[in-house]
Amino acid sequence: MLTSAAGATGRWTLKTIHAVLAVCRLVTGTFYWMIAAPLTGQGLRARSTLDHYVDYAARSLPVVALISFLIGAIMAMQSSYQLARFGAVQFVAHLVGIAALRELAPLMAAILLAGRSGSAITAEIGAMKVSEELDALEVMGINSIKFLVVPKFLAMVLALPSLTAAAMVIMIAGGFALSVTALQMDPWNYLAQTASALHIRDFATGMVKSVFFAVAICWVGVYRGFQVEGGAESVGKQTTSSVVTAIFFIILIDLVFTALFFSM
Amino acid sequence: MTQQADAIIEVDGLSARYGAHTVLDGVSFRVRRGEIFVILGGSGSGKSTLLRNLVGLMRPAAGRIVLNSQDFTAMDEAERLAVRKKMGMCFQGSALLNSMTVLDNVALPLREHTRLKSSTIDIMARIKLELVGLGRFGRYYPPELSGGMRKRAGVARAMAMDPEIICYDEPSAGLDPVVAAGVDKLIRKMQQTFHLTSVVVTHELASVDLIADTVCVLHDGQVLAIGPPDEVKRSSHPYVQQFFSRQPEAEVSDNNEYIRSITQL
Repeated sequence: MLTSAAGATGRWTLKTIHAVLAVCRLVTGTFYWMIAAPLTGQGLRARSTLDHYVDYAARSLPVVALISFLIGAIMAMQSSYQLARFGAVQFVAHLVGIAALRELAPLMAAILLAGRSGSAITAEIGAMKVSEELDALEVMGINSIKFLVVPKFLAMVLALPSLTAAAMVIMIAGGFALSVTALQMDPWNYLAQTASALHIRDFATGMVKSVFFAVAICWVGVYRGFQVEGGAESVGKQTTSSVVTAIFFIILIDLVFTALFFSM
Repeated sequence: MTQQADAIIEVDGLSARYGAHTVLDGVSFRVRRGEIFVILGGSGSGKSTLLRNLVGLMRPAAGRIVLNSQDFTAMDEAERLAVRKKMGMCFQGSALLNSMTVLDNVALPLREHTRLKSSTIDIMARIKLELVGLGRFGRYYPPELSGGMRKRAGVARAMAMDPEIICYDEPSAGLDPVVAAGVDKLIRKMQQTFHLTSVVVTHELASVDLIADTVCVLHDGQVLAIGPPDEVKRSSHPYVQQFFSRQPEAEVSDNNEYIRSITQL
């Protein structure tokens, strides 16, 4: 009983140490092949980065736009019921604008991208591992971090902030559309209220968050992909785990940054 | 003595383990420059592990691998990379990158390791594809090709950097006899045209007659017999005889042993 508990603790510790080492290798490898290697003339896969950017940003835009628009409208509806009781319906514009920029646009875009592209990253790398493609790269002397991870990382770090900025605008548009139709607010007044409520700081904090969300989505996706062992079943498991872990980290990062930004 | 002088690959007391499980146990052999060396063994004999050690995908638990009189096992990563560029590997499932065309797959090592012009690389890749009989299929994606064609494309990619040594992992696995014979013929053609040292891991007896210069029979992580095909076939070792006459493994004869094996937890 006691020995098996000791054994389990030891195995758990070893497993954790291995996982931490793997993450460290991934992080240092990404920065080496992204910054140091191109500076010493070892190249960067620009074409692949661009392809991934188009995939992550442009192909995610329709769904991000639709959901952002609807959430903007929902927020306007929900807040108007409450604010109407105090005769403060014109503050709907403030609420929608601030919530969109600081919180909801970065969060929704990140969660959608984790589901859409984070999972795809894990499945792609996992399937490559199963079909020995990663081994083939290694035998050819091609570094898989340079070849696979860095283009995805760069594309993700560029794509998520772009999507977030679009989501911010569209979310405000959703609130605007509902307010001027269902709530019969004056359009110019709504826009003026929105402009007076928003500061550059709200926009900046949302964008900073989205960069860190992107880093989390990419590294979690890549890490889970490399974790795949065996066959197709493992690809499925790791892909699920990739999305769940990424969303967990997104929320955690959100909490930390919100605490940092608004306690100062 | 000439055999020793000619050796391009020397494996000396190689052992490999997965956890506590020993897969290779003191394997030693020599491969002469320019020959086709066939490693024959059943499932689980450790032959794939041996190949993974040879191309540097695994580091051995013990023993040495000497390539071109350089100790491969003692090298650091940069030196291993330089040696690897002179080695080609054909994987069992061909392992072409599905996200790019066959031509780009073959061109990939050249793009990554040379500073040649893109148009030059394209021409070189086309020559390699022509060599394996896939000249017209460069623009296809790997999933659009048949199994035999993917194998050939894998050979073309392994040949891209003009290697000195080429390794094949189960080249005829999953192919019908006609296509498999075609792949065997290709292996022979590559070896003859480029004086290429080839290491072929297989369980296919038919391949032995077609391509082998030297056969090495591997069983339970140990070399049972080694030499020219005719000599190995005459070997008196019971497992070698069993393998060549395709006899199944003997049923468990000891009843007590059987009872014990199924009741033990």
